[in-house]
Amino acid sequence: MSVIADPIIDPKRALRAARIAEFKSFARRFARNPLGMVGLIIVIALLVCAALAPILATHDPYLPALSDRLAAPGAEYWFGADELGRDIYSRIIFGSRLTLLIVALVIVTSAPVGLVIGAIAGNYGGWVDRIFMRITDVFLAIPKLLLALAFVAALGPGIVNAALAITLTAWPPYARLARAEALIVRNSDYVNAIRLAGASDFHIIVYHIMPMCLSSVIVRMTFDMAGIILTAAGLGFIGLGAQPPLPEWGAMISTGRKFIFDQWWVATVPGFAIFIVSLGFNLLGDAMRDLLDPHLRQRR
Amino acid sequence: MSDTLVEIENLRIAFPREGGMSDAVRGVSLSLGREKLGIVGESGSGKSLTGRALLGVLPSYARISVDKMVFDGIDLTAASPKLRRSLRGGRMGMILQDPKFSLNPVMRVGLQIVEAIRIGDKKLPKREAFKQALAVLEAVHIRDPERVFSLYPHELSGGMGQRVMIAMMVVREPDLLIADEPTSALDVTVQTQVLSILDELVTRRGMGLIFISHDLRLVSRFCDRVIVMYAGQIVETLRADRLNEATHPYTRGLLACLPTIDGPLDPLPVLQRQASWLEARP
Amino acid sequence: MIQVDHLTVNFGPSVAVRDVSFSVTQGESFGLVGESGSGKSTILRTIMGLNPDWSGSIKIDGQDTKSTSRTDLARRAQMVFQDPYASLHPRYVIGQAIAEPMRINKLPDPEKRTVELLDLIGLPGQFRFRFPHELSGGQRQRVAIARALALNPKILLLDEPTSALDVSIQAEILNLLNQLRRELNLTFVIVSHDLAVISYMCDRLMVMRNAEAVETLSREQLRSRDIAQSYTRELIAAS
Repeated sequence: MSVIADPIIDPKRALRAARIAEFKSFARRFARNPLGMVGLIIVIALLVCAALAPILATHDPYLPALSDRLAAPGAEYWFGADELGRDIYSRIIFGSRLTLLIVALVIVTSAPVGLVIGAIAGNYGGWVDRIFMRITDVFLAIPKLLLALAFVAALGPGIVNAALAITLTAWPPYARLARAEALIVRNSDYVNAIRLAGASDFHIIVYHIMPMCLSSVIVRMTFDMAGIILTAAGLGFIGLGAQPPLPEWGAMISTGRKFIFDQWWVATVPGFAIFIVSLGFNLLGDAMRDLLDPHLRQRR
Repeated sequence: MSDTLVEIENLRIAFPREGGMSDAVRGVSLSLGREKLGIVGESGSGKSLTGRALLGVLPSYARISVDKMVFDGIDLTAASPKLRRSLRGGRMGMILQDPKFSLNPVMRVGLQIVEAIRIGDKKLPKREAFKQALAVLEAVHIRDPERVFSLYPHELSGGMGQRVMIAMMVVREPDLLIADEPTSALDVTVQTQVLSILDELVTRRGMGLIFISHDLRLVSRFCDRVIVMYAGQIVETLRADRLNEATHPYTRGLLACLPTIDGPLDPLPVLQRQASWLEARP
Repeated sequence: MIQVDHLTVNFGPSVAVRDVSFSVTQGESFGLVGESGSGKSTILRTIMGLNPDWSGSIKIDGQDTKSTSRTDLARRAQMVFQDPYASLHPRYVIGQAIAEPMRINKLPDPEKRTVELLDLIGLPGQFRFRFPHELSGGQRQRVAIARALALNPKILLLDEPTSALDVSIQAEILNLLNQLRRELNLTFVIVSHDLAVISYMCDRLMVMRNAEAVETLSREQLRSRDIAQSYTRELIAAS
C-alpha cells in the first residue's frame, strides 16, 4: 500500500488504475486468440503503411517512367511496374491511405448515426420506434451496391462521394443492432434504478443504453470494415470511386485486368492487398466478437 | 456390490483461470446406497459440480481427477463416452433447477417423454410408449395427463414443468437420480407437493437420490443423510434427523443465520468464516 | 407515509393487481408476501412509476404520485431490486454507480458522500474503484442499497432483496437493513416470497394471491396464528 496509490487521496488516479487494469485483462484475453492477433498485426501493418507511406515507398507513386512500362517484379520494382511505369509497391503503400480514408469516413459517419437512431428507437419504443425502424427497413430493402451506385452516379465519381454512398448503405444494420440491445437494456434493473433516481431519457440513452450497445456495434464495425474495403474497391474498379491517377487498389485492379495474362502482377498485387486487409479485419472482428459479444459472453 | 450404488473417492475438479488453475472441488469422497443423500452448500461450494462429474456432463475445459468413481460396479473413470452416454440415458437421471431449460421448447411434452422411453427401449411399440407416458404423468400427480401431454413447455407453470421433468426422468426407471436444486425456482406451496412426489417415486422404485440444494432445512426434512460442503470440500456428513447435533461451525452457522416465522427479532447471527475451514482435510 | 387505495394494474389484457389497498405509516416496515405472479412486485414498481397502466390512487407523504414529478418522487422513495447482478451497470465502477443519482439531482459533493455511504453499508472506500463483476452478490446488494440511499429518501422499497443470495449472506443484508432503518428512521416496504423473512423484518404484512390481497396481519397476529384465511395457513405450513 503505497501512499500514491491510496484512492482516498487521489481518486482520479485510482479510477484510472481501475480502468487500466480492466483494459489489461481484456488485452490478456485477446492475446490468447492467435487468429485475432494475426488480424491485429495485419491491421497495425496497414496503419503503419499509411502513416509512413513516404518513407516506406521506394518510388513516387504518381511519376510515370515510360521506359519501365509493365516491368516485371525485381530488384528495382519489387512488385513490378504498371502500364505507365509506376512502381506498384509504392502505389500499394500509398493506396493504403486511401483505403483507410474511406473506411474511416464510412465508420465515423455510419456507426454513430445507426447507434443514435437505434438507441432512441429502442429506448422510446411505440411510434418513435416504428417510424425509425421503417425508415431503416426502406434502406435495408435496397441492395447495397445498387444504392451506392445510384448515389455515386448522381453525385459524380470521387473518393468522398464513394464514402458517402457506402455510408448511406452501411448505417441501417447498426440501427437494428443498437435497437435490439437497447430493448434489452432499457428494461434492465440498472436502468430502472437510475430512472428512479430521476434521470432524464437523454441521460439514460447517452450514459446507459449507448455504452451497452457499443460492444455489439464495435464488433459489427470491425466486420464491416472488410465489406467497406471491398465495396470501395468495387466502386473504384468500375470507375465510380477514386479517380486516376490516385493509387486506389480497386482502380489499380481495373487498369491491370487488361494485362492479366501477360503481366499478371499489375492486377494481382492490389488484389492481394485487398484480400489480406479484408482478412485482417475479419479475423480481428472474430476475436472481438468472442470477447465482446454480450450473448456469447453469457454462455461463456 | 448391491448396497453401494455410487462410490467416489478423492474427486478433484479444477478450472483454468488467468495465471493457473482454480480448484472448485478439492478431494470429495462419498458413497451412496439406495437412499436419499442431500448435498448442501452455498454457491461456489462445488456441490453441483460433484453431481455433474458423476454424470459426466462437465464442460470440456474442466480438469477432473479422481481416485475412484464407481457406479453400480461400473468404473466410470474407465468407461467410454458411449457407455457413459447410455448410462445417462438409462440408469442415471438428472433434474435441473429450471425445467424451461431442460425441455425442448418446440416439442409437446408428452412426445418428449415418449421419446425418452423409446430411447431406453427401442423395441417398445409406439402405443405402449404413449400409454407409459400417460401413466408416468399420472404418477407425478398431474390430474389430466391427456391435456398436459399435448402442451408445449412454455404453456406449463413452474411446478407443472418440474413434474413433467421428474416424470421424464423416472419413466426410464433409473437407479440413480441427481436432482440439482429441483425446487428452488418453485413457490413454497408447490415446492412441498413436488418434493412429496419425488419422495414417493424414489422410495417406491428404490432409487438412489442425490439431492443438491442450498437449503439445509429443506434437505434435512427430505433426505436420509446430508453432506455439507464448503469451498470444494466436505466439512461434515450428518444424519438428516440429527441436524441439531452438527458439530462443524459452518453447518451450525448456516442453521442459525436463517430467520424463522416465530424466531426472535434480535440481529441474526452472521456466519463468521474462518480461514481454517479452507485447509485441506484428510 | 404511503397510502395505496383501490390499486389495479393491467398488463395488456391481464390484470396483475386487482383492487388492492393498504397504508404504511412513518417508520414502519410493511411486508408484501405471496407466491410468484401474485402481483406483489408489481405493486412496488407501480408505486415507483415503472408501470404506466394503472388506476386507483397512490399517495406518498400525502402527495398523489400522479401529480408528483419524477425527481421529487426520487427524493422521497427509492427501490432496491431483487437481482444484484442485474441492478448495477456493468461498465461503471461502484463509485460512479452510487454517485450518479447525486450527480443527476445536483447534490453537493458526491465524491465525499459516496465514501460516507460505502462506510454506512459496511464496505471500504476503496470499493469505489471496483467494477461490479469484481464483487460478490452480497457486496453488490450492499452497493445497490447505498445507491438507493444516495438521495436521502425516507422510504425504501425492497423487492426480494435477499432471494438471489446465499442464506449466510441473507442474514448479513437483513441485519444491515434493520440497522439502517433504525439509524436513518426509514420506512420499508419489503416484498418477499419467504414468510420467515417477512416475519423477521416487518411490523405488518399483507398476504397476496392471484393479483388480490388475501389479508393484512400484524406480526403479532402472524406469530400467534390469529389468521382468518386458510391460504395464509397453507403458506405458513409450507415454510
